[in-house]
Amino acid sequence: MVISPVHYIAVPLLAAFTIPLLSKYIHKELARIVPGIVLLYSVFVSIVLMMQVSEVGVISEKIAGWSAPWGINLMFTPFSGFLASLMSVVGFLIWLYSYNFKKIEQSQSQKYHILQMMMVTGAIGIVLTGDIFNLFVFMEITAITAYSLTSFYRERDGAEAGFKYLLIGSFASVMILLAVMILYTQLGTLNMAEIAQNAHLIPTPLRATILVLFLVGFGIEAEMFPLNGWAPDAYSQSPGPIGAAFAGIVVKAGVYALIRVIFTLFDIHGAYDFLIYGGLITMIIAETAAVAQTNLKRMLAYSSIGQMGFVLIAFGIGTKTAIIGALFLMFNHAVIKSLLFMSGSYLTYNSLNKKISALAGLGKKLPIVSLLFGLGAFAIVGLPPFSGFWSKLYVLTAAADQNMLLLIMAILAVSIIEIIYYFRVVSTLYYGKQEDEEIKVQKPSINAMVSMLILGATIIVVGVYPDIITHFLNNAADMLLDKASYIQAVLTQNIN
Amino acid sequence: MNSFFLILLILFAGAGLSFVLGKISSIISGTVAFLSIAAASALFFTQIEMGSFIEFSLGGIQLQWGLNSYGYLFGIIVLGLGTLASLYSISYMQNKERTSGFYFNFVLVIAGMTGIIFANDFISFFIFWEIMTWASYLIIIYSGKNVKKIGIKYMIFSAIGAYSMLTAIVMIKGQYDTFLISDAINAGAFNFIDNIYIPILLLIGFGVKAATMPLHVWAPGAYNNAPTSFTVIFSGAMSKMGVLGMGLVLGHMFTADRSGSLTNFFSGFSVIYLQQTIGWLGGITAVIATLYALIQDDAKKLLAYSSIAQLGYITVGLATGTKLGVMAALFLAVVHGIFKGALFMVVGAVERQAGTTDMTKISGLIRKMPFTFLTALISIIALAGIPPLGGFVGKWMLYEALITESNSYFLVIVIFFSSTAAFLYSYRFLFGLFLGQEEKETEQVKEAPITMIIPMLVLAILLVITGAFPGLIFSPIATAMEFIGFKDVTWNMSVLNNVWGNEMNLTYLGITIGVVFVSIFAFITLKGLKGTRYVGTKDISTSGEIPYENENLTFQINFFQPFVRAAAPMYKRSMNKIWNELGNGLEALFNFTRKIYTGNGQTYALFVVIFLVLMLLFKDTLFV
Repeated sequence: MVISPVHYIAVPLLAAFTIPLLSKYIHKELARIVPGIVLLYSVFVSIVLMMQVSEVGVISEKIAGWSAPWGINLMFTPFSGFLASLMSVVGFLIWLYSYNFKKIEQSQSQKYHILQMMMVTGAIGIVLTGDIFNLFVFMEITAITAYSLTSFYRERDGAEAGFKYLLIGSFASVMILLAVMILYTQLGTLNMAEIAQNAHLIPTPLRATILVLFLVGFGIEAEMFPLNGWAPDAYSQSPGPIGAAFAGIVVKAGVYALIRVIFTLFDIHGAYDFLIYGGLITMIIAETAAVAQTNLKRMLAYSSIGQMGFVLIAFGIGTKTAIIGALFLMFNHAVIKSLLFMSGSYLTYNSLNKKISALAGLGKKLPIVSLLFGLGAFAIVGLPPFSGFWSKLYVLTAAADQNMLLLIMAILAVSIIEIIYYFRVVSTLYYGKQEDEEIKVQKPSINAMVSMLILGATIIVVGVYPDIITHFLNNAADMLLDKASYIQAVLTQNIN
Repeated sequence: MNSFFLILLILFAGAGLSFVLGKISSIISGTVAFLSIAAASALFFTQIEMGSFIEFSLGGIQLQWGLNSYGYLFGIIVLGLGTLASLYSISYMQNKERTSGFYFNFVLVIAGMTGIIFANDFISFFIFWEIMTWASYLIIIYSGKNVKKIGIKYMIFSAIGAYSMLTAIVMIKGQYDTFLISDAINAGAFNFIDNIYIPILLLIGFGVKAATMPLHVWAPGAYNNAPTSFTVIFSGAMSKMGVLGMGLVLGHMFTADRSGSLTNFFSGFSVIYLQQTIGWLGGITAVIATLYALIQDDAKKLLAYSSIAQLGYITVGLATGTKLGVMAALFLAVVHGIFKGALFMVVGAVERQAGTTDMTKISGLIRKMPFTFLTALISIIALAGIPPLGGFVGKWMLYEALITESNSYFLVIVIFFSSTAAFLYSYRFLFGLFLGQEEKETEQVKEAPITMIIPMLVLAILLVITGAFPGLIFSPIATAMEFIGFKDVTWNMSVLNNVWGNEMNLTYLGITIGVVFVSIFAFITLKGLKGTRYVGTKDISTSGEIPYENENLTFQINFFQPFVRAAAPMYKRSMNKIWNELGNGLEALFNFTRKIYTGNGQTYALFVVIFLVLMLLFKDTLFV
């Protein structure tokens, strides 16, 4: 069988429809196992395609034989492929982690696993598709699964967070849809490559309007300030592993869409500055807000927003080194923040308000989980020899090449703030004095442990030997910057 | 395998092994740590050729590790002291908990410092610098005391330093397109004419580790809070990493050839300005730290402040920028490593045997711990700068450099004041712990175990030898100074010359003093043999009255009260307060930004709408 990018989408969709039947007529457990098998298959597809793509350059798939620009096509480039692979791996690890996550078992685990699988599928679809309306559809799939997973526990706070997310998310949908509509009336096409080719034909004011609508729409998904009000609540009220999925998958898709619009669709100079300033403000506000948090998951949420701001800054600088740095940051954020959310959920497993002070002394009771959390904390603030250091170094080097001294100082000042609040948690974990009454700790299940250990090992291995992934990042950055070859790759399809 | 890799591999593997084995027994873990550091030192001193280097690439960045004469000088301190301190740790940490984490980080710190010495490029320099920093952070908070107050403060200041350094590094990369230290130097990155920011940012980075004013506030707490066997390394070797960096930057800055530059006059002027500033910062650090050392009742805290004061002298020496001054500074750095290492070991031994280091609680340990006392005595003589030991030579050279080669006489007075005041706390240290009345509480105290005594005595013997033959240290210093830009550095094995034509042969001085000591010792012993009566402390009569059993005859509390009263205004202002207020202000600001996230969905929706409207309004100016 020939592996093609369409397997990322078709297999999970097929599975999603058959799972309810399978679980009803064959075995209940299948509802939980099948999503895992599907996600593992996605990982397999990623590995095969990533090996192919480094030889071929671009793998494209015409859906139902309709070639671009009439039909929908899936583009597996080194850039989108890197993100798709990252998402499928993180998606699988999240499934592995949440397979026996007790609280999910208490609720309806059937739905949880299907929803989580569809969330990954939607995000991968966003990354792979070459059609702007299709992108919107996948964005909706991701968003709807995310809304329902946010309020999955059916508690008051969860419902409130889910509603807020829905409210702001529907703004995003409306604006993206509106932008797509205006684009279609102007150019008569929905294919992104063709739009990119003809974008200069749109009158400038209208072009700017479309861009603004896209920026606001995708900015909401990418957690840009001041559009990110939904994020802290959604992160902290959703089940633990879903926080990891938000950080590792959903936000990545939003950032991808934002970057695709700015880099490929509209190559407007001001948009890069917009990314830098938007990212900087996002980062500063989110990180300073994180310092004052007493709730662990909210702290992680704000930190995650801040990191996305950093990613946007890196993309905004726009040179090749900066984009390598940005992609490296996305990789690190997906791996490290997932690890932090996963280990954090076990650390606060039975505590009601998830207070940081309730972590006191857990370093002894949950030694490995605490160690992994500490590892994640060290890595995310960018201490060598962990992977977070290299991404920071690349971005700073790129900024220094552009003589952006103030930007460097701002980034590093924020890093110091990051150190303060992460080290506070780590020191509470190991040396804190227990204040409240004893909270029963939950030992993590074996599969959760395996999932966390894989992430932890990745952090160390990439940190000590970054060459493992810099090759992929290099190709991805080349692809993103080379707009012409993207257009060519899509539009020459119909000739063959 | 290449020796550079091998040494670091041994150290990192040693760290990992001692972590794992620490679960079984603290002694095994400590022995593994000691063996790995000793093996690494053995390789360092025998296998590595000076000037050899290896190159490899990591993450697309060209890295280079090598050994130069300058690094070698600091390698002597780090690995020499590291080996002794790890041997010392085995007994010191014996009955403590969580020793596996301690040894893991201990070896990591040594590995980090070794890596810094090997690093020929800024990236590996920075990586190892950060490993050293976070590993030492984990040791500082190891005891679980003052985690927030001291641990976080240490980490914040270290981060400020490290990130200033990182900014400078990426700026060097941006301007000269190199990460190699030697290339950056040749391109004139430290020149201060073309680059004001790069040297200053680097100096801030190194100044934090060297505890220079106003970046010193983390130091007293951190030195005191770490387990004593680590403070040996912390004060003796880790602070020298700051000195290493400062020497590198300042040496190249002051020796740079400015003759061809158009902006000669102004740049020369600004360099003098910088030189004076750093010199004064060092001088003020020395004075204030000395004053604070005087009022400490805790021996360990006293030494912590004393370390900061000594680092102040070293900074002053480096800032003179002359051959003699820099030589004095590097000499003091080495000697300080030895005697402060020894003194912290003494305090650790007292802490382990007597249970406390509070000088108001213990006294009269001289009979109980004679070897410890001997080490303390020799180290204190070196610390106070009394001939014939090393501290004297260093200070002599420092004064001479300041008086003859720089025009800041007032700075000489400041340094002189501080080093005189240092006599006071030196005396207090000896008196407080070892002399005076024997207390009931300390009756059971015994001498420390042999594994603690050996490292102490080794350091004490080293102090005596280097005092008589300072040339043993001058020889590596002279080659090291050639590496940082000085030419034709001359030195003598044991003769001090000065510009006034006076000469002093330290060998004769040493021998004379040695003979005097030995004859007094012999006299006392011979006299003792004739059957003198052994007397207890209470066996005296004052003005015809015999003191009661529980009467206090010594004055351990409010020891320097008159002096402290005189210097009271000096204690009022403290840099610590200023930093604390800054911290509080920032925290209030952060609380304000947190309130932007109201938790109300409507507000968030409003944000989105306002943002959209603003963007649409300004779209034509933003996106053209």
